[in-house]
Formats: sequence, structure tokens, C-alpha cells
Amino acid sequence: MISMRMLVSRLAPLLACLGLLGVWQLGALILDTDSFPTAIDAIRAVPSILGDKESLINILASLRRMAVGYSLAVAVSIPLGLMMGRSRGVASFFNPLLMVIYPVPKAALMPIIMLWLGVGDVAKTLVIFLGVSLPVIYHSFQGAKAVEEKMLWSGAAMGLSAAQRMIRIVLPAALPEILTGCRTGLVLALITMVTSEMIARQSGAGNILFNALDMGQYDTVYAMIIIIGAMGIGLDAAFERLRSRLVKWSEPRFEIPLSFA
Amino acid sequence: MNSRVVTSDVLLGIVPIALSIALWQAIVSFGYAPVTLLPPPGMVFLRLAQQLTTTAFQQEVAATLFRLFVGFSIAVILGVGIGLAAAASPAVNAVVRPIVRVLAPLPKVALYPALLLLLGFGHESKIMLVVADALFPILLSTYYGASMVEQKLIWSAMAAGTPRHQILFKVVLPAAVPSILTGCRIGLVISCIVVFLAEMITSTDGLGHLLVTAARTFQAVDMFVPLITISLLGLILNGLLEGLRTYLLRGFPEV
Repeated sequence: MISMRMLVSRLAPLLACLGLLGVWQLGALILDTDSFPTAIDAIRAVPSILGDKESLINILASLRRMAVGYSLAVAVSIPLGLMMGRSRGVASFFNPLLMVIYPVPKAALMPIIMLWLGVGDVAKTLVIFLGVSLPVIYHSFQGAKAVEEKMLWSGAAMGLSAAQRMIRIVLPAALPEILTGCRTGLVLALITMVTSEMIARQSGAGNILFNALDMGQYDTVYAMIIIIGAMGIGLDAAFERLRSRLVKWSEPRFEIPLSFA
Repeated sequence: MNSRVVTSDVLLGIVPIALSIALWQAIVSFGYAPVTLLPPPGMVFLRLAQQLTTTAFQQEVAATLFRLFVGFSIAVILGVGIGLAAAASPAVNAVVRPIVRVLAPLPKVALYPALLLLLGFGHESKIMLVVADALFPILLSTYYGASMVEQKLIWSAMAAGTPRHQILFKVVLPAAVPSILTGCRIGLVISCIVVFLAEMITSTDGLGHLLVTAARTFQAVDMFVPLITISLLGLILNGLLEGLRTYLLRGFPEV
């Protein structure tokens, strides 16, 4: 019985996917316009894109930029966020600056950065870096701020230095919150990746998508949407796996909702 | 004493902003960057002040704000509604959870071409994109907040004679408010970002459109103006939300 329930809960996202595609198919059949092909038509166009060597290279280049930007952002943001959470001075130093930058769409900086760094990889990676780092900093900050003082005092009483306390107490205690931030960052990285390539039309998945839109190749548009969507869902699922392994101890016994934000 | 700590915090916070503006000025005045690529900050802020008084610019801001508000409000209503329903009823939960699981990590900007083709180039497609992006953080934090409500609170309310159907609005919703507001805050920032992006992609008005036109004509000054404007808008809206939060959460223990 339990395994049956497990099976259903495993399959539920898949069923939801199929259901959504079904709704799409129905909607397309009812509307019946050129600009909205049926789900089946769009899926049929997917292999031809993935089979094409040039577009495959483009998509892989996008993923590479995303991976580089994302890792750099995480590596810089977590220490900064933790320090902000533990020291009032650091927090009040950086907070207003971050508040000012947060609502600025990072991809909108693209035209300005492009003037400086050109349309190449550096500009796009930098934009992804900026897009990812803010939520990660914010969540690390919140996580580090919520660490119980008593644990730190006990650590200090047992002779841990400030740096050791940071790594052995604050980091693990804030980890669930940090990973929530990383997950938000992952989605933002994809969004920034697509938009940065849309603005600097040179290579990448976003370039294929918006070029197809401009040229009215609607099958390709929808097929690219499926591909990018699948990337998002796949990366998120992989991340969720990693997350649940790392912070299993912090989960309550009943199932908590997936924490996107 | 307390107010002195606050002022010194504010002063400390102004330092990096002042430093970055000074750096910006320094780069320009020491000639590392030509003025056509990076205009000095004074010029940009002057231009901003100038633009703010013109009706044309005000109309662009109004168009952006309109889309932002409508989209964000719809997202809040839907997100809180669905989130509460999913927390209250296992049946709704079973349907909503897998759909959210699939849709939440989807990069919604990739859906924008589809929205454009379906809804046209007007307000609708942009508002839909804002809704799609702002909905999930709000929905998830509502659900999270509502399902974390202490069972004892519900029992006490029931023991005190609250009818079953009122518990949702009298106990669960107020107890979930801190979490809902956190979600709204993230949703608001995302709305600001998304509305700007949507306007950059295709639009005939709005701040994003201003940026794109300026970029196409290499008017560097005009490129900075919409960026600073959206940053200011985000700050103001965030401040308003913060005010709402302290009003709604008066009497709550500090979270």
C-alpha cells in the first residue's frame, strides 16, 4: 500500500506534465490559429532542433555560461551573506546597496555591459552572476541571522575561533535557508540566461527562441519553449535531490511544500 | 541611544552607495571611459530630474506601474487563495502540488513569446507574464505558512466555539500572514524585474521600452535613466510593503 502511494507521488509531476500538455493540445485545437500550434506539433519539432549540430552547440554554450556564472555567484554570495548575517556592521554596510540593486532587472544591464565588454561570453556570464548573487546573498543573510546565539556561545566557550564558528556552526545551521536561495537563484539564472541572449543576439538558446519568433517559425518557438522549460524542471529536480540529501536533518517528519522562495 | 545606533547604521549604509557613485565619477573624470559610453553621474541624475517633470516620461512610468500593479495584485489574490486552499484541503493539495512542482521552476520568460502570440502586444501579455512569475513565490510561502500553523491554535479556537468554516479566516490566515508577506516581497521584486524585461522585449511604451530605444540610438544617458527609475520604484514599493508589514504584524513577536 505504501509503495503504491509512493508510486503515485513519484508519478504525480509526470501526470501534471501530461495534463498541461493535454490542456495545450485542446486549447490549440479549439483556437486553431497558425501562431499557436498543437502540443504534438511542437514536440515533433524538438528532435529536429536537438539534432541540428549548430543549435545543439548554441544550447550547450548557454548552459556553460550559466554554470560558470552560477558557480561564481554562489561562491561569492554565501560567504558575504553569512558575514552580513553575523555582523551588524557588515549588514548595514551592504544592505542599502543591495536594496538599491535588487529590483533592477539584471538583464536590463546587458545593453550597458555590452558597450563595455562586447557581446561575448564575459558580458553574459557577468549578467548571470549578478542575477544569481542577490537571492543567494539575501537568503544566506536571513539564515545566518536566525542562528541561535546559544550555540555560538557554546562554541566559543569550547574554544572555537570566530572563523571556525562560522564554518562549523553558522554554515550548517543556515544551510537550509542558503539552499532555498540557491534554488531561487537557479531559476533566475535560467531567466537571465534567456533574456541576456535575447538582447545580445549572437548565440545561445534565447537567441534561437527569439529569432524564430521574429521569423514566424512558430513550431520552433514552441519547441524551444519546451526545451528551456525541460531544462528548468530537470535542473530543479536535480537540485531538489541534492538539497534533500544535504539537509535531511532539518526537514520535519511530514512532507513540507517545495520551497521555491 | 537606540536612535543613534539607527543613524550610524544609515550612515554606514550610505557609504558604499556614495563610494560607487564616486568611483563612477572617477572613472569618467580620469578619462578611463569616454563620456559617450559612461556619462558622469551628475549628468544622469540631472537628466532624471528633468525627465521626471515631463508628461511623456510620466506616462511611460504610469504604463509600467499599471502593469506592475495589476499583475502583482492578481498574483497575490491567486497565490493566497490557491495556497490556502491547498493547505486546507488534501484533495486540492493533491491536484495543485504536482502542477506547481512542474510550473514553478519553469523560466517564465521563455513563455513570453507564446503569450505574445496568444494575447498580443498590449497590456495583457505583459500582465500575464508578471502574474506567472510573481504567483509561485506567493503561493508557496502562503502554503508553507498555512501548513505550519500550530495545531494548538486551531484546537483552542475550536474549543472556544469558532465554527469550522471560520477557522481558515480567523486562525490560519492571520497566523500565515508573516510568511505570506515574505512571499509578497519576493514576488514584488520579481514583478519589477519581469515587467521591465517584458517591455524590453516588445513594447511601445514603458520604462523597458525607453531603455531599448536609448540603447539603439546609443544615448548612454537615457539608458541609465530608466534603470535608476525602476530601482527607485522598487525601493518605494518595497518601503510601502514594509510599512504594511509593520502595520499588519503589530503585536506579533519579531520574526
